[in-house]
Amino acid sequence: MEKYEKLEKVGEGTYGKVYKAKDKSSGQLVALKKTRLEMDEEGIPPTALREISLLQLLSQSIYIVRLLCVEQVDKNGKPLLYLVFEYLDTDLKKYIDSHRKGLNPRPLPPKVIQSFLYQLCKGVAHCHSHGVLHRDLKPQNLLVDKDNGILKIADLGLGRAFTVPLKSYTHEIVTLWYRAPEVLLGTASYSTGVDMWSVGCIFAEMVRRQALFAGDSELQQLLHIFRLLGTPNEELWPGVSKFRDWHEYPEWAPQNIARAVPTLESTGVDLLSKMLQYDPSKRIEAKEALKHPYFNTLDKSQY
Amino acid sequence: MAANFWASSHSKQLLEQVEVDVVPQLDKDRGVTLDEFKLIKVHMTNYIWRLAQYVKVRQRVVATAVSYFRRVYTRKSMTEYDPPLVAPTCLYLASKAEESTVQARLLVFYIRKLCNDERHKYEIKDILEMEMKLLEALDYYLVVYHPYRPLSQLLQDAGLPDLNHFAWGIVNDTYKMDLILIHPPYMIALACIYITTVLKDKDKISWFEELRVDMNIVKNISLEILDFYDNFRVIPEERIAVALNKLRVKM
Repeated sequence: MEKYEKLEKVGEGTYGKVYKAKDKSSGQLVALKKTRLEMDEEGIPPTALREISLLQLLSQSIYIVRLLCVEQVDKNGKPLLYLVFEYLDTDLKKYIDSHRKGLNPRPLPPKVIQSFLYQLCKGVAHCHSHGVLHRDLKPQNLLVDKDNGILKIADLGLGRAFTVPLKSYTHEIVTLWYRAPEVLLGTASYSTGVDMWSVGCIFAEMVRRQALFAGDSELQQLLHIFRLLGTPNEELWPGVSKFRDWHEYPEWAPQNIARAVPTLESTGVDLLSKMLQYDPSKRIEAKEALKHPYFNTLDKSQY
Repeated sequence: MAANFWASSHSKQLLEQVEVDVVPQLDKDRGVTLDEFKLIKVHMTNYIWRLAQYVKVRQRVVATAVSYFRRVYTRKSMTEYDPPLVAPTCLYLASKAEESTVQARLLVFYIRKLCNDERHKYEIKDILEMEMKLLEALDYYLVVYHPYRPLSQLLQDAGLPDLNHFAWGIVNDTYKMDLILIHPPYMIALACIYITTVLKDKDKISWFEELRVDMNIVKNISLEILDFYDNFRVIPEERIAVALNKLRVKM
């Protein structure tokens, strides 16, 4: 690890601290992610192993944060693992915050929202085409290079390769605000739709500069969603009453989504509504989203 | 594990037969021949299967473990990386990568049960140390694709779903060879189907033709598998012992 000079702590990852550091020989900035290796009985945590192998698999895409290398070090006889990532100066949460608070609150430029969403869909499409669900997409997990307008997906620790037919996965995985309704209702099978729901929430959040559905419990989260999109029923979402955690809820009528994102142009509202479909099988796929008219005004040649 | 083999690290790591059939210099120095090198790999593959039955993991975990094991010895010598320790550690690592973690202490327990040789009574810390070494040797590439899924799909397509069990058994046997390091999984699956159709007397020539794959490769893989059945059906214990002893000779 003498190769790197630690500059500052930039965050706390799922399983360890993240440092900004400099590669002494090349001067390149990197993010060092120390894995909290509890070398008790079971060696390297499977979550770390999973992230490493998924990153090795996916990191060829420029829309996924690049894993440069893995360093093993021995600290007081205990092995430590550092993941060395490319460094990006901020994340989407901080970026949105900087537009909401501070000296100069202002909306995100529509061109930036369009470009970020496109890059996000590219990254998600890449994951999905490799059979990997991210399952924890949120603004904090999207790294941003603001000078160059680049956005990349990070923190694939919860990502997990899926095979068809989808099996029953463990619950409690997506941060509440970006969690798809079928997950909140205790679905037995996860699909690519869980990520697309999160993408929709993130899209709306870039426009609004605040979360679309900010629930503080699973029930509250569902009620937030129902209040905007209407309480689902068998007609709106066949099978909804069969979910494990389905109960009777207040019956709200669907509102016009455009009212939640008043500054968004109409094609954007259309795309958002396709991402926020209740029935996951009707939700737009990342690959289709890339072809949506909302992106017609984007110069796709640069992606 | 994932849907797209061609974009995976696995596809980029495919090797040529001549690259796989190389006895590492250190092992050569100890007089290990290519035949013995292969024999040890077959023996250790069987050992991984037996251990896996005790610790109860899915077939693909075993397949992944064996793939790791074989990949390691395209890069490292058996002299430095002791096969009787590498084999269970590969199973340990594969169980983590495939999300059905087996506890190290359980593995250690069954190693002791299966092995009479005092030298192979490893401790948990030996497994954990070897795990780190293996990760480096494998360059952290842990995603491996297997022929099982294409096999089922292809058999369905060929209208032979009831031969799945038979063909599956042949796929299992291919892990006693290095095929998984050399050929894309679906080609191995096709070779297993080809053997199955010949042995079960099913005429599927036109189906194979419509696939537009290089049938010469499929047939060559099939021949290799049949060749293996002829030559390695029974592995004499004493030949294994001789080979393993060569590795232990102090130089």
